[in-house]
Amino acid sequence: MKRILAVVLALAVALSVAAPAFAETTLEKIARTGTLTIGTRTGSPPFAFVNKQNEWVGFSIDLVEQAIAPAIAKKLGKPVKVEKKESTPPTRIPLLSSNAVDLIAGTMTDTRPRRESVDFSVTFFVTGAQFLVKKGSPIKGIETIAGRRIAAQQGSTNARIIRERVPTAQLREFPDQPAAFQALVQGQVDAFTNDGIQLYGLRAKAPNAADWEIVGDFYSYEPYGMAMRKNESDFRHLVNVGLMEAIESGKYFELYEKWFGPRGEAPYPLTPENKRFLILQVVPK
Amino acid sequence: MLDLGVIVTNFKFLVVQGLLGLGGFAGGTLRLAIPAIVLGFLLGIFVGIARLARTRWISLPATIYVEFFRGVPLVMVIFWIWFVVPQLLRLPIPEYGVALTAFVIFEAAYFGEIVRAGIQSVPRGQVEAATAVGLTGAQTLRHVVLPQAIRNMVPALVTQMIVLFKDTSLASIIGYVDLTKAAQIVNNREIRPFELYLFIALVYWACAYSMSRFARRFETRPQGA
Amino acid sequence: MGYQFDWSILWSGQSGGWLLQGLLTTLGISALAWLLAAVLGILSGALRTVPWKPLRAAATLYVEFFRNVPLLVWMFFWYFGVPPLLPAGARRWLFDHHPEFWAGMVALGVYHGARMSEVIRSGIQSIPKTQFEAAVAMGLTTFQAYRLIIVPIALRLIVPPVTSESLNLLKNSSVALTISVAELTFQTRQIETYTAKAIEALTAGTVIYLALCVGIASIMARVERRFAIPGLIARGG
Repeated sequence: MKRILAVVLALAVALSVAAPAFAETTLEKIARTGTLTIGTRTGSPPFAFVNKQNEWVGFSIDLVEQAIAPAIAKKLGKPVKVEKKESTPPTRIPLLSSNAVDLIAGTMTDTRPRRESVDFSVTFFVTGAQFLVKKGSPIKGIETIAGRRIAAQQGSTNARIIRERVPTAQLREFPDQPAAFQALVQGQVDAFTNDGIQLYGLRAKAPNAADWEIVGDFYSYEPYGMAMRKNESDFRHLVNVGLMEAIESGKYFELYEKWFGPRGEAPYPLTPENKRFLILQVVPK
Repeated sequence: MLDLGVIVTNFKFLVVQGLLGLGGFAGGTLRLAIPAIVLGFLLGIFVGIARLARTRWISLPATIYVEFFRGVPLVMVIFWIWFVVPQLLRLPIPEYGVALTAFVIFEAAYFGEIVRAGIQSVPRGQVEAATAVGLTGAQTLRHVVLPQAIRNMVPALVTQMIVLFKDTSLASIIGYVDLTKAAQIVNNREIRPFELYLFIALVYWACAYSMSRFARRFETRPQGA
Repeated sequence: MGYQFDWSILWSGQSGGWLLQGLLTTLGISALAWLLAAVLGILSGALRTVPWKPLRAAATLYVEFFRNVPLLVWMFFWYFGVPPLLPAGARRWLFDHHPEFWAGMVALGVYHGARMSEVIRSGIQSIPKTQFEAAVAMGLTTFQAYRLIIVPIALRLIVPPVTSESLNLLKNSSVALTISVAELTFQTRQIETYTAKAIEALTAGTVIYLALCVGIASIMARVERRFAIPGLIARGG
């Protein structure tokens, strides 16, 4: 018992002393190392995933590499390399707060509770939550899931909403989207709930897409933002500048077409309403 | 129906990227396992000898170190280093660094015990004879005790090295693209878990089995009372 | 961004309950897996020493294959790869009753069964052959000799290495978090996901594991001393 206490005590003392160490801002770190480290998904097509050639690609990754990193590079006056690390809903905020990554660029929904722990960029995608079910399933939306087994990602907004709004639903949380989808494929759960666009992406890449359908009206509003540590206004400004310039110059819509256009990975037309919203986020130069 | 095609198509990714570590992702089981085994063993030698030191200032910390790391799961140690160290250093650390550090400090506790048992298995008479002949403590250790101890330790050492080799699969938990993670990446896309996981089980088995066959050549019967 | 310590999260809110649930799950899955491992270990360990080649070969195959593959791979294999192969009735039951728990338990039990088998085999082999010969000379069949003489002695000899293997099993139960078993390490991650207090959560988990391992080890050391056969104590692991 003494040994355990001694060790724990030593650890606690060491950590509490070391924590308030020197503070370097994210921009200073990027300027020093020339690298922007992002946390992104490996199983969320078409935002960030590993394709059939086993390359790590996606819409969010493109936005960082082609819009945000150049904006930072221009400001710092030196080239900026993008390094990718895998992050999933349960690990993304810890990775950010532990300085393992500088920016979460995936499928993270901007919400008020989350804004208490991290800061978000402007919204770069708009969608809502729905359900993925086997074709012909009796589940048609959030009203019909009482008592059913529903899969969701651990730590996602969807998991929390289902838990609060439909307590009778048997919610099973999985570490990431592929694990939840496999549970659905095997029949472990009756439906998988996630943001609509991700379900479309998942279905587009599934071995037999025709077996699955996406049902239900959006039961939540999910605006995606890139997340970063709090109190980094300069860094956040540059990330926003990158996104705004991409929307302004049309680069954003080019990338949108590539991934979500009729010949993209997951066709998902941009509604005029959402397009207007994105454009209005671009404040004057 | 068994679909071996998924293995054939992704064989290169699984073996070249996953096992060897050559490819678009920073990864590789061997790239992690080999340094981990070497460094873990080296650190283990220090830990083992420290445990037998006569001064409590050295032997007590060593004992606490060993008891601590043998009392917690490796997964915990990995999470500690993954979350806490970058925070303390204010620096992102690549998964490779996190995994390597975790494996080295964790396995050193186990290697340390093997070293300690090996040294203790050398008969007292050897040490006494060495002192009688005029060798100092350090010389005795280096020329008489360690060579015999190492010979006695070989079977246990090899077993532990194979254990460490298998433990590297836990690096996949933090996203390091080793053999296990490579299989996960392919499975997430193709959904063929039975074929894929059985395949990498065979690859791991082949590596571990060759390690033990190779080491059997050096095995001698343990000496000492 | 400085880290703000907040140890109260461990007892206020849901964290305490989660830790307790995690601890119970860890103990539960470990206990059941231990039983499975003990049965498989004793059977295969004993079978590896009998004079009949086919039985020896089968046991050796089991041990060498399952022991040399990482536990994590087995977790994925039993959880993702095996259920689709089960008959529909069994599959339905499994999916309604925490498939991840059973998959994790089986993976843990079968893997450690292979490791226990080695421990038991060397225990049996360290018993002087004369014991077996004497038993046969007294008129016991091979099976009776094993059951009444060899195995009981072996079981007492192997208490130290079995204790060490059992603790390994307990620690390895943490690997089950990768297939979403809500055991102790999973719960420390859960606390950390919801409160962002990694250090507090990890410390709580670490302290509990240490308490369990050091506690069990000291109890077993006492048991060892009582059951030790004078003159035949196997060197511990």
